[in-house]
Amino acid sequence: MRIRTESGIGHTAVSLAGRFDAHETAAFRVVVDALFGPDQATVRLDLSNVVFVDSSALAELLRVQKAARAAGGEVVLVNVSDPVRIILELTELKQVFTLETTPQTASTLS
Amino acid sequence: MSAESGTYQAYRTWVTEKATVRPLISVVIPAYNEEWRILPTIGAIATHMCSRGEPWELIIADDGSTDTTVSLLEDLRFPNMTVLVAARNAGKGDAVRRGMLAARGDVILFADADQSTPIEQFDRLLDKINAGYDVVVGSRAADGATVSSKSALRKVLSRGLNLIVRGGFGISVSDTQCGFKLFTAPAARSLFTLQVIDGFSFDLEVIYLAGRLGLRTSEVPVEWIDAPGSTVDAAKVSLQFLADLARIKVRDLRGQYPVTAHSPAGRPAPSPHNLPRSDRTPR
Repeated sequence: MRIRTESGIGHTAVSLAGRFDAHETAAFRVVVDALFGPDQATVRLDLSNVVFVDSSALAELLRVQKAARAAGGEVVLVNVSDPVRIILELTELKQVFTLETTPQTASTLS
Repeated sequence: MSAESGTYQAYRTWVTEKATVRPLISVVIPAYNEEWRILPTIGAIATHMCSRGEPWELIIADDGSTDTTVSLLEDLRFPNMTVLVAARNAGKGDAVRRGMLAARGDVILFADADQSTPIEQFDRLLDKINAGYDVVVGSRAADGATVSSKSALRKVLSRGLNLIVRGGFGISVSDTQCGFKLFTAPAARSLFTLQVIDGFSFDLEVIYLAGRLGLRTSEVPVEWIDAPGSTVDAAKVSLQFLADLARIKVRDLRGQYPVTAHSPAGRPAPSPHNLPRSDRTPR
């Protein structure tokens, strides 16, 4: 899986591409946890190019959501691909996250 | 959320409306205690198959799961998905056989529950069916395959067993055990009626029988990613595999595979218009 972050003034963009599974959760955790800060509790993840998420990845997303909410923010999933959307529905996790669609190709962490 | 894609709309139809026509494609997944992995796998398969735009069915062949796998699946109430519940854990081969014999599609894919071979590889196997093959084997050993995160132990065991299979059985397929194989319906009926191995060696038996029946078999390199959480003890399975090799050979030498009686009458010339499209345009 490719993880791309783009930092700008007041925001950081995070986008994932490929297969998000148990082999990728450690790298994901390192990147995302480093983005949290006193002024950044909401995580926005672009999942438009993610082709599969397994249960380990879902658990990791839940972990990040829990951490974000504890800090007063949330995880926003942006432009989720069809397979991710369907897997979120099947696992009844869709309602746990805020899903957004934007014309942008990358999402922001604000 | 935004406007729904064509694939998503097709998925919603698939999960809410019973198809009025016979499926062209059947996907069979054996499942033993897969409560942790089965839903993402179903999601991936449903996304891809619905994107193809052809009628398809999903068959989950439970293998006597003792966790919540069966209730999890039955609660979905998908009209085009069948859950075959087994009272006991008889083995992967038994589960696959029940699923394959229950399938109604013109082509039948058997795929492992862990999505270790991404479902998108199906299209490449189907190309071979449309080219006239009866059995198409996904392969981690063929030139062009990509294998990720496979343990050293499993690599050694696989290579060793492959050498034995090639030498002892004359099977040219380089990876008999990959859980991703596509069959025409007549081939599946013939092979899985003859299959007697209930354990993990059933793949080998099926490929061996395909050769004995004169079925055209092809091997297609696939992408394969090891999925953690396997319920398989590789060393134990390898020992059983060796025992099953001998069992298959002895059984055949004794004439206990009635291959003639179950041989396909002969496959008609390939007629791609009757088979699912392989040159599809993504929706």
